[in-house]
Amino acid sequence: QSALLKGVVKNEADQAGIPNATVILTLGKSQISTTTDIKGNFILAYPAGNQATSFQLTISSVGFEKKQLTVEAGQAAISVSLKAGGGDVLDNVVVTALGVKKDRKAVAYAVSEVKGSEFTQARENNIANALSGKIAGVNAAGLSTGPGGSSRVTIRGNGSMVGDNQPLYVINGMPLDNTVPGGAPTVNGTTSNVDKGDGIAGINPDDIESISVLKGGTAAALYGSRASNGVILITTKKGRAQRGIGVEYNSTLTMDNVAVIPDFQYTYGQGLDGVIPTTLSDAQASGRKSWGAPIDGSTNYMGVDGKTHPYVAQKKNLQNFYQTGTTFTNSLAFLGGSDNFNYRFSLADLNSKGILPGTTYKRKTFNVALNGKVGSKINIEALAQYNLEQGHNRTGAGDALGNPNWTPLEIANTADVNWIKPGYDSAGNETIWNDAAIASNGYFVINKWKEDDVKNRFIGQASISYELLKNLVIKGTVSRDFYNYNYYNVLPTGSLYTPLGEYVGLKSDLSETNSMLNVTYRTRFAQNFGLSAMVGGNSRRFANKEQNITGKQFIIPYFYSVSNLASSSIRPVTARSTTNSIFGSADFDYKNLFFLTFTAREDWFSTLSANNNHIFYPSVGGSLILSDALELPTFITLAKLRGSWAQVGGGTPDPYAIYQTYSNVPSSGQPLLNVTQDVNLQNYIPNPNLKPYTSTTYEGGFELQTFNNRLGLDFTYYNRQTTNDIVKTTISSTSGYNSVIMNVGELRNRGIEMLLTGRPVSRANFSWNISYNFAYNESRVVELAPGLTSVQIANTVNNWAFLQHIKGQPYGTIVGTTMKKDAQGNVIFNRGNHLPVMSDLMPLGNSVAPYTMGITNDFHYHNWGLNILLDGKFGNKIFSIFEVYATRMGKLKSTLPGRDKGLELKGVDQNGAPYDTTITQAGGVLRNYYDNYKVYSDLFLHDGSFIKLRQVILSYNLPVSKIKFAKVQAASVSFVARNLFILYRDTKNFDPEQSFTNSNAQGFESIGLPRTRSYGMNLTIKL
Amino acid sequence: LFSLQSCDKDFESTNTNPETTAKVYPQYVFTKAQYDGTANMMNFLLGTMQYTTSYNDVAGFGSKYNAAQISQTYKAFDDAYPKEINELGLVIKAVKNEPSQVNLYAEARIWRVYCFSRLTDLYGDIPYFQAVLGNDSFVFKPAYDPQSAIYADLLSELDAAAQSLDAAKVTFGASDLIYGGATDKWKKFAYSLMLRLGMRMTKVDANAAKNWVTKAIAGGVITTDDDIAKMSYLSAGQDINKNPLAFNLWNSDYIAQNGNTNTEGGKYHEVFISYLKSTNDPRLPMMAVVWNNKVADTSVGLAKGMPATLTNAKPANFITYSEPNPKTLLLMNSPRLVFTAAESYYLLTEAALRGWYNGATASSLYQNGIRAAMRQWSLIGGKDGTVAPTAIDNYVTANALNTGGSFDDQMKQLYTQFWVSIFPDAQEVFASFRRTGYPALVPNNYAGNATGGKFFRRMLYPLTEQTLNADSYQTAISRQGANDLLTHIWWDK
Repeated sequence: QSALLKGVVKNEADQAGIPNATVILTLGKSQISTTTDIKGNFILAYPAGNQATSFQLTISSVGFEKKQLTVEAGQAAISVSLKAGGGDVLDNVVVTALGVKKDRKAVAYAVSEVKGSEFTQARENNIANALSGKIAGVNAAGLSTGPGGSSRVTIRGNGSMVGDNQPLYVINGMPLDNTVPGGAPTVNGTTSNVDKGDGIAGINPDDIESISVLKGGTAAALYGSRASNGVILITTKKGRAQRGIGVEYNSTLTMDNVAVIPDFQYTYGQGLDGVIPTTLSDAQASGRKSWGAPIDGSTNYMGVDGKTHPYVAQKKNLQNFYQTGTTFTNSLAFLGGSDNFNYRFSLADLNSKGILPGTTYKRKTFNVALNGKVGSKINIEALAQYNLEQGHNRTGAGDALGNPNWTPLEIANTADVNWIKPGYDSAGNETIWNDAAIASNGYFVINKWKEDDVKNRFIGQASISYELLKNLVIKGTVSRDFYNYNYYNVLPTGSLYTPLGEYVGLKSDLSETNSMLNVTYRTRFAQNFGLSAMVGGNSRRFANKEQNITGKQFIIPYFYSVSNLASSSIRPVTARSTTNSIFGSADFDYKNLFFLTFTAREDWFSTLSANNNHIFYPSVGGSLILSDALELPTFITLAKLRGSWAQVGGGTPDPYAIYQTYSNVPSSGQPLLNVTQDVNLQNYIPNPNLKPYTSTTYEGGFELQTFNNRLGLDFTYYNRQTTNDIVKTTISSTSGYNSVIMNVGELRNRGIEMLLTGRPVSRANFSWNISYNFAYNESRVVELAPGLTSVQIANTVNNWAFLQHIKGQPYGTIVGTTMKKDAQGNVIFNRGNHLPVMSDLMPLGNSVAPYTMGITNDFHYHNWGLNILLDGKFGNKIFSIFEVYATRMGKLKSTLPGRDKGLELKGVDQNGAPYDTTITQAGGVLRNYYDNYKVYSDLFLHDGSFIKLRQVILSYNLPVSKIKFAKVQAASVSFVARNLFILYRDTKNFDPEQSFTNSNAQGFESIGLPRTRSYGMNLTIKL
Repeated sequence: LFSLQSCDKDFESTNTNPETTAKVYPQYVFTKAQYDGTANMMNFLLGTMQYTTSYNDVAGFGSKYNAAQISQTYKAFDDAYPKEINELGLVIKAVKNEPSQVNLYAEARIWRVYCFSRLTDLYGDIPYFQAVLGNDSFVFKPAYDPQSAIYADLLSELDAAAQSLDAAKVTFGASDLIYGGATDKWKKFAYSLMLRLGMRMTKVDANAAKNWVTKAIAGGVITTDDDIAKMSYLSAGQDINKNPLAFNLWNSDYIAQNGNTNTEGGKYHEVFISYLKSTNDPRLPMMAVVWNNKVADTSVGLAKGMPATLTNAKPANFITYSEPNPKTLLLMNSPRLVFTAAESYYLLTEAALRGWYNGATASSLYQNGIRAAMRQWSLIGGKDGTVAPTAIDNYVTANALNTGGSFDDQMKQLYTQFWVSIFPDAQEVFASFRRTGYPALVPNNYAGNATGGKFFRRMLYPLTEQTLNADSYQTAISRQGANDLLTHIWWDK
């Protein structure tokens, strides 16, 4: 016979019931648990024999502080109120795959959760950037592409050689599209090579309840192939039953400034061959060249503006060229409802001005979440989000044409950027500032180039669940993430390089639709056993219809319509794919001490041949709560062991990879046909024999909480192996094709993750929490296709450096040349041309940091809070394209030797004989000599390690109880700062996180916008 | 939502690209191959052959051999295989076994010889027999073949293709932008290429050269203006439909049309302009203008070439140098001359000098060559390119072949004239220059040049071949010599 305990769990603030809260009843060594229903009600059955004694009840729910209380003997009903907030990570319930909430104890793999409130004070426009340094094993970085830019996040290294290595973003259980319209920019592009922003950038941080990061394949096995890189689960805020309407308002204003000023030489000024420019013609010829006379304050110096100026160093060109960027974000949410129906509606407006004058990004987000109950067995949920995102004058990077960043970086060091303002003459044509028309006048780019993009995005989700029998629930969910994107980029009339102008346009209609049906059943049997089982199916449909418009020569000058182009062409791209899946899982527990989880999934991919298009993969995991199972010393609060093994399979995400087809080539004359090319307009060989790849992860770890949760350690070891990866492999062009799609080899990532948490001070009015995370990931290309030793994934402008996967090396090795040296280390010179002999291509370093860490300190004193986050990445290299050019221009200190008496070259010649000669300035010999250094890649390669003061938040909670005239629940004001200082770096001339693309082509600095530090104020009010 | 049985229903239609076709239409691919084959020009060789230069050493690489820009020499190799060579592979595969398509097959083979010969002449040993088999046979690392073997096959291909042409059968018709499908003209083009390639072997195998030259002459080569192999282009529209040289010159330099803000600092080379002036060449105004108050002035008196020694600094008198005439060379719809009557006559002149041909005297053949070369400018520039008949007569009279001179003297005169006449096909001139040593140009010993102040002897294989096709590449290097600009290729030994 059983006795019953009935109860209700409520939110202390508004007395609304809390659904899905975990209620655990402890009887001696055994535990009985249940969860609350939608109204917050629960019923617990326990052995009637225990009715005579009191016992412990533990109640927890995501976003609330855990509560423990004693139930008196014979008590049959209880009402519990939980306080919002929630303290110790380890005590919480976590959201896992498919939105299932699990007691943290039951989770067999590493999972990290970050509360939404951590993203709403010190904001990043792109929420993914804010993950930086917060979670062990998560390598997150924003790009230096201005407001509205993308992010790059990788978890436990890169698992695919050329495929997407970013995690799958899931919102309320359903996948989200994270593509960059038209694809990510390239390292070596020119016009229109801009970062158009990714999908995660469209999520408003105020709508986020929590973010769970599922790091490994085990965690992700239920999501299928796309989850092999981990899953970032976003749970959005919901409404709740309460009297009246709740209102939340958040306002943030932040300002951005250039963070790093290059360490230029200011010894020799503008000019050529040691000579100061004294005529306009000299000034124009040397506009970018600092190969002039010693900077001595001479008064005969002619600037490129045609005026004489003192010949003095101009050290503020970056500061003068870039402005203070601002971002003003306002969000307002209303929420409320009754027991049977609740809602939350939010509006957010983000308005950013970039550091480059004229660059703006605006984002408006409307989000509505509805939850309701129809009768006693049916629950319905709906979520709709509409975004309007508008970018204006996003900045290009890469090569010179239309890249405004060249101007402040490459202008001669005695010239003031203000002299070349406004960049155009009275007719609107670009004014000359240097000898190469392709190096656009930055002010002409700011003032006359036009870029505009608008993204209309809709994310809709609806689900119905029906309780067929007690504890047997069937649920159907449909979600659709859709955007319509319009982009154009005008290279205007009157530019020096292309006087008649050019036009690039992109229209894209992209959608990802998922339909899922699942049935869950949970029960407890034989007192001590719990079972939760689920089976389901999902159909994912992806579609993208693009029109790429390119045109040349505006017939009527300065009139920028497609209709006004002398020639134009449209290249249509249609991509469709479907993945159908069935999956199931079973979770067992024994006395809440020992947990076992099994999952299995089978996927069918439309992108593969019929005989090879499906794959089955299982996972298994378990955890053991040692601290409950054994008598451990009393200082140990919790000890948990966990381990898991999982496989995830995947097909190629790209359709049309199996058969060769032929496409029309735009022609104004006879029709033209060629093999269908890829997005980079290169030939590729499709492969009908492709089979799904697999990614296998095993991991083990433990969690330890001691001294009543004052000190904790969470440690994980993992090994993740990708085999038969589907890779578009670069091949010799002599095959007629530039790449072939193949199942290639084996890629391994293994490493450790560690989280150390402590609470050195924990008093009523003062607390100090400290959290340190550290991760090391060792990646290795174990095997490529037979006979293949490397796969190339990127190259710089003019092939100064390459990015390759090389057998036996880590993922993404930077490859280049060096000066050839003899056994004694002497440089070998070619007597004919005095140049050091160039080595063959060789691996020069790893583009991905193997070591990452972050340390957070949280202080609370009365109403004050202070949060300080430091993070660091170590062990990677970065190749600087800006330095290649700055060497040519004579702006770097490394170009100083030899300016006065000539550069002595000492070494050996190709026959080994001693070689000693001197290169002098006369006739451009010296600067041509330095310019030629661009062929030795290692000269521009740096260690990319850094430590940054990533975030500081100083907040003050207003004493709202003293406010009489309004019903204010909470209010706080904060000073916030992001990326405040770089405490350590090896790159003298740029921020080591200076990345321009969120593609796999990392490890290159590409003359993008400088990275910034930001600081501002935040105000939060809850009514 | 769906049932298990239909887990891959509709997959095939989902995975079919609606923007593409599964079938090859050989005529449309052939047109593309003609465009690509003609567009694959090493334009910087205009600088090497001292026609043009630039104060900017990136653009002036060809005239300065600046070491920092040697990657420019990879381009023809990088372009040829994925473009024209692969396209011709597709065409040949589609028509090869169809007896009714014999003319399509033959013309594709002839065009393939043209494209491959240009490529091997630049690099020496290249992948040939195993080239462009990536899609059909999964050959991703083709072997490099010795140039001698490539030449042998190119010549026998020409022979076989020329003989297989059949006027009674279907042709490419309008898809053939060179001859509109005319089989008799393709035959002459085939034998003309045989004449060119046969003569290429004089240094390395005089007997073979003689055999092929004689065979070519017997087959019938291009000698009339009407038979000239020339690609036709459009004045407007897509870039691919425009004359690739005009398009390139226009976009890389002369688009501003003011003589001053030339995008990459280009002008005519002083050596070329000085030579034309010294011989009172009537083509000078067809070729060159000087901008004078925004007017393109063709006055011979103003003509002046720019020195190739300028080191990345725009000279103050930049506007005063000659540059291409917008009414001839820069016309987007001007034809690209692929094989001219002039070239045939000059090669026949050499054959006569060598005693391999006695159908006419060397001096009359030489004179015919000059006349044809002068006339062909009217193809390029219409009336703005038409040289007056009297001017031609005067020039011919003043520049008669020095038949009293030595063989070498006459070769010098012949191939100097060839240099002037075959302009702007710098790549062909570069080949004859390496073979004959003429014109006797003086190399530019520019600061930081890659060759130690010597002329290129070949182009470099792309760096990527070192890793992507390593074994084949190493075999080629060990056979031919270092992957160096100064390594001599087989016929240039």
